[in-house]
Amino acid sequence: MAVLKIENVSKIFQGGTTAVDDLSLEVSDGELVCLLGPSGSGKSTLLRMVGGFERPTQGKIFIDEADITDQWPERRPTAMVFQSHALWSHMNVFKNVAFGLRLRGLPAAEIRQNVEGVLEMVGLAGYGKRMIHQLSGGQQQRVALARSLVLEPKILLLDEPFASLDQHLRERLREEVRDIQQRLKITTLFVTHGQDEALSMADRIVVMRDGRTEQIGRPDAVYRKPLTPFVAGFIGTMNLVEGQVMRGAFTRAGIRVPLPVADGPATLAVRPEALDLIAAEPGQAQVHRITDFGTHGIVDLELSDGTRLKSMATQPNALRPGQGVDLVPRALTVYRESREIYRDVHD
Amino acid sequence: MAQAGSIVSPDEGNEKQPLGLLLVAIPVLLIVWLVIWPIISAVIDTLWRSDGHGHVGFDASSYVFFFTDTYSLNNLALTLWTTGICAALLLICCLPIALYLRFGRGRITGYVQTLAILPLFVPSIILAYAFIRVLGPNGFYDIVLHGLGLPKLRTPYLTPWGPVIGLVWDNIPLTVLILLSGLGSVKDQAVEAARDVGANRLQVLRHIIMPTISNSILVALSFAVLGIFSAFTLPYLLGPASPEMMGPFMQRTFDDVNDPVAAVTQAVISFAFCILFGLFYVRSVARNQGRQP
Repeated sequence: MAVLKIENVSKIFQGGTTAVDDLSLEVSDGELVCLLGPSGSGKSTLLRMVGGFERPTQGKIFIDEADITDQWPERRPTAMVFQSHALWSHMNVFKNVAFGLRLRGLPAAEIRQNVEGVLEMVGLAGYGKRMIHQLSGGQQQRVALARSLVLEPKILLLDEPFASLDQHLRERLREEVRDIQQRLKITTLFVTHGQDEALSMADRIVVMRDGRTEQIGRPDAVYRKPLTPFVAGFIGTMNLVEGQVMRGAFTRAGIRVPLPVADGPATLAVRPEALDLIAAEPGQAQVHRITDFGTHGIVDLELSDGTRLKSMATQPNALRPGQGVDLVPRALTVYRESREIYRDVHD
Repeated sequence: MAQAGSIVSPDEGNEKQPLGLLLVAIPVLLIVWLVIWPIISAVIDTLWRSDGHGHVGFDASSYVFFFTDTYSLNNLALTLWTTGICAALLLICCLPIALYLRFGRGRITGYVQTLAILPLFVPSIILAYAFIRVLGPNGFYDIVLHGLGLPKLRTPYLTPWGPVIGLVWDNIPLTVLILLSGLGSVKDQAVEAARDVGANRLQVLRHIIMPTISNSILVALSFAVLGIFSAFTLPYLLGPASPEMMGPFMQRTFDDVNDPVAAVTQAVISFAFCILFGLFYVRSVARNQGRQP
């Protein structure tokens, strides 16, 4: 299919706001890469530059070695699925999907065949004559996907396509989209600020912050080995505790964790599922609240200085609010000046 | 007593109905008195007339005269021509301006908007005299051409094009504002999606923007057509003496010819044409709304 290459791309808007800052990325043939980051991190701007809706201030964008940086959107071999679906309400489903093919001057019979085929693929066979307002949100998103897929683009761009849908529908649609993407082996760039979406769909995740990449990697690597405190805090739930390393141990409000690092300020990062609790009085922390989710429980803990931490417990009923506990991290990462300086994984 | 935030029961709501009806009654009565009754009265006065011997009966002779009189028909034809040309020119002028204001970025859009809205604050009579001073005989252009040693141009003043220029200029603000309001419903992403599937700017305009704002175009054109058809000041000051538009024609028939029945007949005929435009507008809007959510 196609390879997307983004080389040292920057985008500075009028007024001097830098949305994307010297970013480079290569998306392999058939790969699904998620751009993940908070609002304002530049992920949508980057996607729009690939789609041709924004022009980079500097840098180049290539698809299969062809420079498309200065091409108009209508000339690019890309297709975008927008967050708001962006369907044309004066056209029915068939016309929405067929519009791009009609512009290409394909014969009517071929258009009909292609449109019906792609509608079947997205589970909307027989919906061609319906008007857009007669469809549910999920069906509208499927039409938007069909409209992009029918053009057989080299690169599929998805701009938070499930953001306006409810949780249940979102989960179902992301599985369907992933299935279709893998079946067609279409190179895909997917923008989301939902970590669940990124972790469940992506071949690789690009975590963005302030227009730059914080980390690029496979979902498990980004989750288990976050390179910066930002990634650690952004992906999943993470206990981030600022403290001091003194004489070979990290200390903060009664916590003491031996560490083989030089003295100085440090940030300790421990996932709730890697933080074991041992009942102790008075203990390093107090149980503040227990939330039972059935399969597991989340224990909210409070240090003596008011700092809050979370621990995942398989038997939360063994604890009670107000009880003292000692903290035993099974896996931890230590950062200093936003860089990882130590990692310890026991499990 | 119901307080802010409390739930008002249906009974309490009904108690307030007489006050609401009273508030509505005043403008409704005013419309009936100042608009509906004069229309009915005009139709009755032109169709049930005295025969000079005190006998009142059905008499359509004033209408028969209008539709057999070449001069009256020429005036009606000129009015229809002026209205049609103005409507077309307004669409041609205002749609690009509205598109630019909707999709344009930067500081210039602000200046363009100010210029487009400016005629709204210029009274028609001022506009007419400004037009005469600029485009009329020995006006600004004549002086400039003379200064450059060039021959005079034929002035549109006192030709059918005089009212056309004036009426178009006068109607630009309202038309632009209505079109701009319609273009507000065209979402950026709808346009981007069209470009994404391969539509160029012209195809986006034709297939996406125009169908989306068809109601606004109808509203803008209806307002313009109704205003232009019954215009008086600009056609009176800038237009030819013969044929003339229906507004000045009615005034001259009433004042100079001293024939009030003929003047009212012309008014009823003008009103009938406006009603036809109105019905066309209502039907088109209803049809378009039936297609949309």
